Amino acid sequence: MGGLSVRDAVVRYDGEGGTTAVAGVDLDVADGEILALLGPSGCGKSSLLRAVAGLEPLTAGTIAFDGEDLAGVPVHRRGFGLLFQDGQLFAHRDVARNVAYGLEVARVPRAERAARVHELLDAVGLAGYGARSVSTLSGGERQRVALARALAPRPRLLLLDEPFSALDRALRERLAVDVRDVLRATGTTAVFVTHDHDEAFTVADRTGVMQAGRLLQVAPPEELWRAPASREVAQFLGYQAFVPLGTRAGGWLAVGPTGLRVLSDARSTPQQPGSDDSGRVWEARVVESAFRRGRAQVIVVVDLGSGDQRLVAQVEDAAAPAPGAAVKVTLDESSCAVVGG
Amino acid sequence: MDQDRRRLRPSACTAAGWAVAVALPLLFLGVFFAWPVVALVGRGFVSDAGGVDLTGLRDVLGSPRTWRLVGTTLGQAAAGAAGSVVLGLPVAYLLYRTRFRGRALARGAVTLPFVLPTVVVGVAFKALFQQGGLLGWAHLDETFAAVVLALVFFNVSVVVRTVGGLWERLDPRAEQAARALGASPARAFGTVTLPALTPAIASAGAVVFLFCATAFGVVLVLGGAAYGTVETEIYRRTTQFLDLRTAAVLSILQLVVVGGALLVAGRARARRERALHLETEDVAAHRWNPRSAADVAAALASLVVVGGLILTPLAVLVLRSLRTADGGWGLDNYVALGTTGGRNALVVTVWQALGTSLRTALIATVIAVVVGGLVALVVSRRPRARAARRAVGALDAVVMLPLGVSAVTVGFGFLITMDRPLGLSIDLRTSGLLVPIAQAVVAVPLVVRTVLPVLRAIDPRLREAAAVLGAPAGRVLRDVDLPIGLRSLGLAIGFAFAVSLGEFGATAFLARPDSATLPVVIFRLISRPGAQNYGMALAASVVLAVVTAAVMMVAERLRGDRASGAAGGEF
Repeated sequence: MGGLSVRDAVVRYDGEGGTTAVAGVDLDVADGEILALLGPSGCGKSSLLRAVAGLEPLTAGTIAFDGEDLAGVPVHRRGFGLLFQDGQLFAHRDVARNVAYGLEVARVPRAERAARVHELLDAVGLAGYGARSVSTLSGGERQRVALARALAPRPRLLLLDEPFSALDRALRERLAVDVRDVLRATGTTAVFVTHDHDEAFTVADRTGVMQAGRLLQVAPPEELWRAPASREVAQFLGYQAFVPLGTRAGGWLAVGPTGLRVLSDARSTPQQPGSDDSGRVWEARVVESAFRRGRAQVIVVVDLGSGDQRLVAQVEDAAAPAPGAAVKVTLDESSCAVVGG
Repeated sequence: MDQDRRRLRPSACTAAGWAVAVALPLLFLGVFFAWPVVALVGRGFVSDAGGVDLTGLRDVLGSPRTWRLVGTTLGQAAAGAAGSVVLGLPVAYLLYRTRFRGRALARGAVTLPFVLPTVVVGVAFKALFQQGGLLGWAHLDETFAAVVLALVFFNVSVVVRTVGGLWERLDPRAEQAARALGASPARAFGTVTLPALTPAIASAGAVVFLFCATAFGVVLVLGGAAYGTVETEIYRRTTQFLDLRTAAVLSILQLVVVGGALLVAGRARARRERALHLETEDVAAHRWNPRSAADVAAALASLVVVGGLILTPLAVLVLRSLRTADGGWGLDNYVALGTTGGRNALVVTVWQALGTSLRTALIATVIAVVVGGLVALVVSRRPRARAARRAVGALDAVVMLPLGVSAVTVGFGFLITMDRPLGLSIDLRTSGLLVPIAQAVVAVPLVVRTVLPVLRAIDPRLREAAAVLGAPAGRVLRDVDLPIGLRSLGLAIGFAFAVSLGEFGATAFLARPDSATLPVVIFRLISRPGAQNYGMALAASVVLAVVTAAVMMVAERLRGDRASGAAGGEF
């Protein structure tokens, strides 16, 4: 099978106490696929990426590419590319010579090198920047140069370690789209580490959710949202509450960020006959009201079966109920997901 | 199987490369530093019959004279360190925290004394304090105060450079936050800035203490016969009385003092290198403000230090060198540099000695830069294994030792070991290589301290970026470490050259009369009677100072862009 294949990977640091950053991860990335590793900081996603690059030794497990075990293959022989959070450009080389570095090391003839540098600077939208000193570039431009540099030697696999997190939001969103387009156009296999959901879903074909050194679930974005594999995954994605299903198998109904709805006064009893779950109505008290993304929202305190919780509920009426008001809330099925016990 | 072998080769090569990088400096320092010192010290504890003889230890430690010498040494070192810190802080503030026209020139003036040969400084202060000198009325000649003043002159630049280097990169927002929370400027300084600077102050203070405790040329020239420290006593005991027993015990005493100071310096340095929140260079500096009390006070203090302490003795030296025997002005003393002095005080002319000095310093610089550069490279790494990290830390400390061990001990140790180095039948003592080797031993720590901060400042991920792009370990070294390290190499070469030019303690032992270096010649001239000899000593001192300053200026230019952030030459 082509592509990256990680089996039972363990990365342990032997500092004080000896922390385990990656605790037995299995991961497959197919040829040409873009995979995002999503998780809170300190979850081990960067350690896993560095282990794949060969910068961090594996304590246990194997990493293979195109069926070849990479144990003992030093960093510079792996033919991978790596994009750091802050570019790490060589300050003593100009833009073109930064991009050309991997080609120089690979002894690519001068003419071919120049053509490739030109092509890549074009691809990242920096045509004509070749002779510029890297110290004159903005943060976004540096990251583009770093991307061009990483792609120039045509890596078998590109590893991106939070490549946009040092940039401001607008730039980040634009660059994420650009990077996805460049990766698609070049057919590059890539693993992309981030803590930003939107970024992961923008760039990646599939997203893996990591927590405390473990890979909880790997799936395309829609599937991840539609069927989170566990409560942990659902919680990390932003599901705000869990209602016990009450079936014999156990399990919960995970309430999405927009999965709770305030029933308007006029229809204080459910109007959808035949739908059992949406028939469940809870008494709630409004503690805060706000207007977000063109819609009224309230924060309510409600007991969905596991004690009082502060949750966000959508309001359909133009006017949101005032704080202190007693309301009834119900679930919006389309924004909820069933997760196993 | 075949594939495995192919993979193994590069890492074996890398390991071999590192082994050489570690072994070469260790071998050099082992043969040319540890062995001579240990051999000399060992002789003090071996009786004529060949057995261990500890009576020397008892005799020397039981003598009140020893403790008087230790007292003078510690007092001199403490006073020198305290004076340098007190005078250095305001200058560091002015030169690194404010911006004004002529700042580069002022920084140069402050750096100059550190690289001046000790003998030159001794002669300059002597000209200032002796009868008929500008400060002759104070009757300071051959006193403790004169020695300490000269030592402060020397070392104030160490404090300014080390503390200033940190201060200029200290994020000013921490102090601003304290001010916003209601702290007065003085309180904000005392509670926020000073604690942040403390590691640098402690580190610089400890190094200055070390330099002052082992100062030789200055003490010998300025202190006179009645004044004695452990260092000068080692010199007198070995050269005048051939009393190796006492000299050995004193050397050990000195090592204890030096070891303590190095320990403090190392601790402080380690704390400083732990990441403080540092700005890139010069962002934190503000334009000098005549309405700010702190700025004005710092400027006045700096004026006293630079004008009074640093420039006055040098001006006096130049002026006195231009006085002729009949009381007029002229270049007589400089013309006389082509002779061998009154009553043939010298074997060679001063110009010949200058030629010898330059040749010697060139060889010493090459050795020191290669050895020191390798040490800096090894010490800049943070290996994954804890044992290897410890070993790297130990190497870092060990290479600093030559800074503090008496140059006299090293020089004399060479004499008794280098007739058959490592049992080989080559007599290095007659080869003429011994002097540059001894000077290189003294210069290596300075090279390490200059190059190391720059290499340490390289983000490890920069090397990883190169490796991921396909560069093997050697290539990473060439493409990342070398170009960045080169920025500090100019300064390292300058330091090594200046130190070699001015080295006196070991050279005094090793240089034969026909191959004497300039500092040795100057010392011989002032120890011989005669106005002509003294005049020549003054003129020769000016020549040596000018050559040294010129070398440093060229070196500072070689250094290239200062934007690298890490200012070299910090302790």
